[in-house]
Amino acid sequence: MGPEITHHPLARADGSATLSSNLYTVLAAVSGPIEVQRRDELPEEAAIEVNIRPSSGVGGPRERWLESVVTAVLRSVLLVHMHPRTLVQVTLQLTRAPTVKLKGAVGDVAALPTLVNAAVLALVDGGLPMASTVVAALVAVSREGGVGVEPGEKGLVGCGSVHALAYTLHGEMLLNESAGSFGVEQWGEVADAAERACVAAMGPGGQDEEMVNGASEATPWLRQELEERARDAVAWRDAT
Amino acid sequence: MAKDASPVPGLAFPRETFAKLTPAPFLHAHLKQAKPVRPSGRAVGDFREPTINIGSLSHSNGSAVVRLGDTAVVCGVRAEILLASDIPSPPKEDLSESQMLENLGLIVPNVELSTGCSPNHLPGNAPGTQAQALSYRLSSLLYSSEMLRPQDLRIEYTTPQTDDDLPDQGPQVVTKAYWTLYIDILCIALDGNAYDAAWIAVIAALQDCKLPKAWWDQDREMVLCSPLASEASKLHLRDVPIPATFAIFSTLSPLKQRSEADHWVMADPDEFEAALCAEMVTMVVRTGAGINDSIVRIEKHGGGMVGRTAMKECFGMALARAKNIRRVLQID
Repeated sequence: MGPEITHHPLARADGSATLSSNLYTVLAAVSGPIEVQRRDELPEEAAIEVNIRPSSGVGGPRERWLESVVTAVLRSVLLVHMHPRTLVQVTLQLTRAPTVKLKGAVGDVAALPTLVNAAVLALVDGGLPMASTVVAALVAVSREGGVGVEPGEKGLVGCGSVHALAYTLHGEMLLNESAGSFGVEQWGEVADAAERACVAAMGPGGQDEEMVNGASEATPWLRQELEERARDAVAWRDAT
Repeated sequence: MAKDASPVPGLAFPRETFAKLTPAPFLHAHLKQAKPVRPSGRAVGDFREPTINIGSLSHSNGSAVVRLGDTAVVCGVRAEILLASDIPSPPKEDLSESQMLENLGLIVPNVELSTGCSPNHLPGNAPGTQAQALSYRLSSLLYSSEMLRPQDLRIEYTTPQTDDDLPDQGPQVVTKAYWTLYIDILCIALDGNAYDAAWIAVIAALQDCKLPKAWWDQDREMVLCSPLASEASKLHLRDVPIPATFAIFSTLSPLKQRSEADHWVMADPDEFEAALCAEMVTMVVRTGAGINDSIVRIEKHGGGMVGRTAMKECFGMALARAKNIRRVLQID
């Protein structure tokens, strides 16, 4: 089920991907490792620059804040020491946003998982070395306390709190942005649900998705996408 | 090499040189002791105690100066009138009160870091990513916390009853104008944790803020304000949330095993510590008499060393910090 993914839509970027979740669509483009400006260069690691463009307008402080969050998440997973004194430039263009007007903080948090997932897909497409795959998930808690992973617009409008979390395959929490009003036990439930969803999306090897316990929405979509890309990459060998 | 009368065993150069040459091993050497301590002398979980001075700016409606260790922030609140007739698309009736402030943009914070507050922030530059992100985070928290009551910012006019009105129709109350609060935060010294210091300054300044008594004059068709200080009113802040920022120093390296990595969670980082930490956690919590302890905002990114258990510990520390700051700000 997972999000809709398009592979390598841009021919001139080193890596690119579009990702469509049920709320946002993001076109991600990665260039790197490329030449870096002298003032931005770091002697022992690659510099990471993220540019986020909203679906309408040019972007202001909200986009600068989103960029700082996505940069921090990518820096924790990219192997920056392998390309010192270079730049990895990630551009994320939001092409579709929810039609209903979400409250400020809710809309900001809701955009993050799609942005992070699209950026990771584009980085993989561009062949940049990463320590692990990363998946981000959006979780909303209704006013009654029900926890729902990947909510739609309806789930977000009346929610008590909204949470964006990203996990690596080893269960390390790389991102947690939460807004609303919630207790620490409820946050624990949210973190559990998000970890299950993220680890399921990366799918441990060999596990049949039908056997996954009761969660038909927990398809290993990232694993399937990456396996398909890997198969396509070596398809020429069977053709010749 | 300085020829000391009693040379320090093990070190051939002074502490400050060690800190400048290899800052990460310097911090690591402090933290890996049996009783971890930070270069500033604080314990790992110690926050800096803030010093707050309010009402020092005479031309602002409210002001506060907050010192958090060597971080010093000045906040001024200026109230300007926004006429309802000047609003291009007035808010619809079904817009909830909580969204009205955000829809009209009645609270406008702005953080200015380019004041020469640190060597990285030379004066005269346009706001960089850090300043813009700080401004946005403060704006987002001000709106989503719903601390300010929309009715405090309304200037209303009661239309007088005329003979044409229906007898059971009461006097109509119309909002003729709104108070817009321009909150300017200037960082005059930066030693880490600008966010916590800025938020405390904003709360203190809003608590100090006095709005003059304003009414709509139907004959002159304008808003008039009373110059009398006795008629001015203060803002009501309800359920004020308090943030706590943590920096996580880790020895994780892609060249070493993940299991060998160690990490320490430092509360209220100063600039030296923050420069060495990629992973940061900010937790904004609400506490107080009569309300349940709850979390309003979590911002965590930059690394994966902090998991569920550590986050719950951070919550405990954030609660204690919130109780202390509420006491300092004299919120009951």
